[in-house]
Amino acid sequence: MKQEYNFSRRFFLKTSSALGALAFIPKGVKAFYEEVKNFIVPAKEQIPLKVSINKKSYAIKADTRTTLLDLLREDLNLTGAKKGCDHGQCGACTVHVDGQRVLSCLTLAATLPGKEVTTIEGLANGDQLHPMQEAFIACDGFQCGYCTPGQIMSAVACVKEGHTKSIAEIKEFMSGNLCRCGAYNGIVESIQKVAAQ
Amino acid sequence: MGFFDETFDLMAPNDRRVEGVAKVTGAGKYAAEYKVDGLCHAVLVGSTIAAGTIKNINVDNAKQVSGILDIVTHLNKPLVPGLADEAKIKEARLGLAIFHTDKIFFKGQPIAMVIAETLEDATYAASLITAEYEKTDAHVDFDAALKKVPLTPAGKERGNIETLNKATQTVEAEYNIKAEVHNPMEMHATIAEWKADDKLKLFDKNQGVNSVQRTFAKLFNIPTDNIEVISEFVGGGFGSGLRVWPHALACIMAAKQVKRPVKLMLTRPQMFYSVGYRPAAWQKIKLGANSDGKFVGIHHQAKNGTSVYENFNEGITRVTRLIYHFDNLKTEAATVPLNLSTPTWMRGPGDCTGDFAIESAIDELSYKLNMDPVALRMKNLALDKHPDNGMPWSTNYINECIEKGAQMIGWKDRKPAHSQTIDGDWSIGYGMAVGAWNAGRGNASAGIQMQKDGAIIVQTAMTDIGTGTGVSMQNIAHEQTGISKSKINIELGNSNLPPAPSQGGSNGLSSIGGAVVAAVSALKLKLAGYAAGQNEAYQNAAPADILLSDSGISLKTPNEQFISYAALWEKNNLDVLEVEASSGPGAERQKYAFCSSAAHFCKLRVNRKTGKVKLERMVTVADGGKIISEKAAANQMSGAAVGGIGMALMEEQQTDERLGTLVGNDFAGYHFPVNSDAPIIEVAFVNKPDPNINPQGSKGLGEVGIIGTAAAIANAIYNATGKRLRDLPITPDKVLLG
Ligand code: FES
Ligand code: FES
Repeated sequence: MKQEYNFSRRFFLKTSSALGALAFIPKGVKAFYEEVKNFIVPAKEQIPLKVSINKKSYAIKADTRTTLLDLLREDLNLTGAKKGCDHGQCGACTVHVDGQRVLSCLTLAATLPGKEVTTIEGLANGDQLHPMQEAFIACDGFQCGYCTPGQIMSAVACVKEGHTKSIAEIKEFMSGNLCRCGAYNGIVESIQKVAAQ
Repeated sequence: MGFFDETFDLMAPNDRRVEGVAKVTGAGKYAAEYKVDGLCHAVLVGSTIAAGTIKNINVDNAKQVSGILDIVTHLNKPLVPGLADEAKIKEARLGLAIFHTDKIFFKGQPIAMVIAETLEDATYAASLITAEYEKTDAHVDFDAALKKVPLTPAGKERGNIETLNKATQTVEAEYNIKAEVHNPMEMHATIAEWKADDKLKLFDKNQGVNSVQRTFAKLFNIPTDNIEVISEFVGGGFGSGLRVWPHALACIMAAKQVKRPVKLMLTRPQMFYSVGYRPAAWQKIKLGANSDGKFVGIHHQAKNGTSVYENFNEGITRVTRLIYHFDNLKTEAATVPLNLSTPTWMRGPGDCTGDFAIESAIDELSYKLNMDPVALRMKNLALDKHPDNGMPWSTNYINECIEKGAQMIGWKDRKPAHSQTIDGDWSIGYGMAVGAWNAGRGNASAGIQMQKDGAIIVQTAMTDIGTGTGVSMQNIAHEQTGISKSKINIELGNSNLPPAPSQGGSNGLSSIGGAVVAAVSALKLKLAGYAAGQNEAYQNAAPADILLSDSGISLKTPNEQFISYAALWEKNNLDVLEVEASSGPGAERQKYAFCSSAAHFCKLRVNRKTGKVKLERMVTVADGGKIISEKAAANQMSGAAVGGIGMALMEEQQTDERLGTLVGNDFAGYHFPVNSDAPIIEVAFVNKPDPNINPQGSKGLGEVGIIGTAAAIANAIYNATGKRLRDLPITPDKVLLG
């Protein structure tokens, strides 16, 4: 049983998803996986973390499996970043890490020490909205608002990256942020407005 | 630059959403985002087979995971009085009575629920649960299964359908549409907290708090008022929030089981089989016309998929009886049971599907007749009366939608024959189609609270799923009272507020608008009542003669008799003035028929080498009666057009018959339009009030924005390439093989 700590986390993850497909795996392999399953240690690791979010530093204990998105939403009550897929497929969870747009659902909290995280909650200057936030209201760049924090964080980066030369370019560089309400007209218009300022 | 000119014209600069700041700062709380003390997490475990019986569930490994509080299965579930026995389960009509059966109807059906301290603990433990089953045959392939189900009449036959055989030109064809999934960006979620044995508080994602409240009051046999449902921010719905789904019940059961507040958020893959979808559909149309273009008749047959445990008929042939005059008409329908979860209404339910077939067939007929598709439609529109029930329309400006749309897109530039405009590898074409929807209205209530400084809060239980209910209520209240918008706050999405119907079927604003008007009248009368104590002129004043402003009340008489709110409050020792009023449909429904409508025009290019379709322009013109908030309404229309682009070109829930499973149930496998898939959508409105539907004269827009879109695109692809594609979505492979 000594071996059990040799299985990496990646191996655990692969194993548990492979378990679902057991029905189609030959007997010998199936037995092997059944065995492997017993090696899985049902204990969690918690690590102390120092993270800086919206220029405020937090000293916390976090589960090693915790994503930045869940850290924000479940532990710190910063629910501005949204969960739309948890798989890096929708952009609703977009935040800035060291000024770059990243998907917080694909970022483990444990990778954050030494970095500066900015979420939608940290964009405004007190009561004074960021120009992009203002533009989204003025251009009605949302309907239900659920994709909006992610859109705005991406939009701010899009302008900073200089990808605003045409409607087509804006659309291309905003295509990682899905909006099921289809508020794309207003999103593009908001970015044009801020880019022109 | 159509869009910018047209839309900026429409946009009032101060027409900002009441919840705008909350949405752009991340401060607005959606269902899963409330901070609740002692909250723990529930995760559902789905069956790995599509049909059969659960023999054994192994939860031992999962139980060892640290942080586990409990695991619920059908064997140890807490009591739900409304599901106590088979008869009650039937009566509850929940569809899937979650954890109350050992039968499996579809793959992914919840068989267990892990409740743990953290989401990570619960998710991990859930991955360790296994089950043994006795498998039975399962079928998920709609195309294969539909042949076994016979059609039955849907509605009364009109005239004699045999007459169709005498038509000069006919089109007879079959149309197939793959299942589509709502996929609002916010995944459905619930936080359930039992405040006492018979008191429940829910933060829940839905499109109707009162319906959620009623459903659970019945299931748990507690008074309706003992359940508070909070849904202040709802991250989209498109129909998925109109039913109360099993996961919400599961969350409430979990909270009962562990005696703590519990949060349950579906995962994106679970969203594909937990909260409904637009079912796959097969249709056959036979449509005929005389040489002058007058329709002789239509024979419309339709089948849609459903689950094996519930029958869901989408109503595909309803729209066949709405837009055009057909002297001879026959409609037939059937549902096809499959081992999938139950479908539900999705934006433009039924009509979207039926309209695609009809509008495609009409386009095809126009080429056979050598007639412009616009002219052919104009000739046959039922503009005088509802073609099915014969009642005169209250208003129907679908013809104006068509005229305006044709002008905006530059329809005269379209080449009547197909494949005439070539640009390198690209072929360019124009297409159009129309859609309509029976415009409804429900009973709704609204309340107003007024402060001494003249600030008011207008309240309703109705949700705002993104349509702009809040800003529209503010606009109506402003117009009715004269009080500045900055002094009008809106509160909604809470079952403690005055009751309102669910927000669906384009009924939201149509229903609540009247309630706001009624509440304003009640407020005026109440204020006048107090004012009469100071000035007799106010006695018996009618609401129409009473004027309000930011600072006080006056009369519509030459010497206004102004009294400030401050004086009224002082004199009568008032604190907060509260009124509530209801409003709903009445006798006008016996006199008139009501519909919203829209025309869709597009210009697109098709790559002959790759099969790619690229929309260049998309124009939508709608008759939604009076437009209350132009920005929100235009946003609705453009968003619906984006949904229509998805339906036309990419959205498709794939299945695997051999494994009895959905395939690609996430955003990598299921594509809906991203920003670059849609052009800037150009929107315009007829904007003429309907004097009968409700006091504000507005007709719902939610559905008509999408209904005709897919057909307009398919028709443009034909104009560009000469390929008549009748199966949605029109993916590049279909274009190349077509
Ligand atoms: S939640 Fe992170 S990309 Fe969807
Ligand atoms: S505003 Fe609803 S998903 Fe974008």
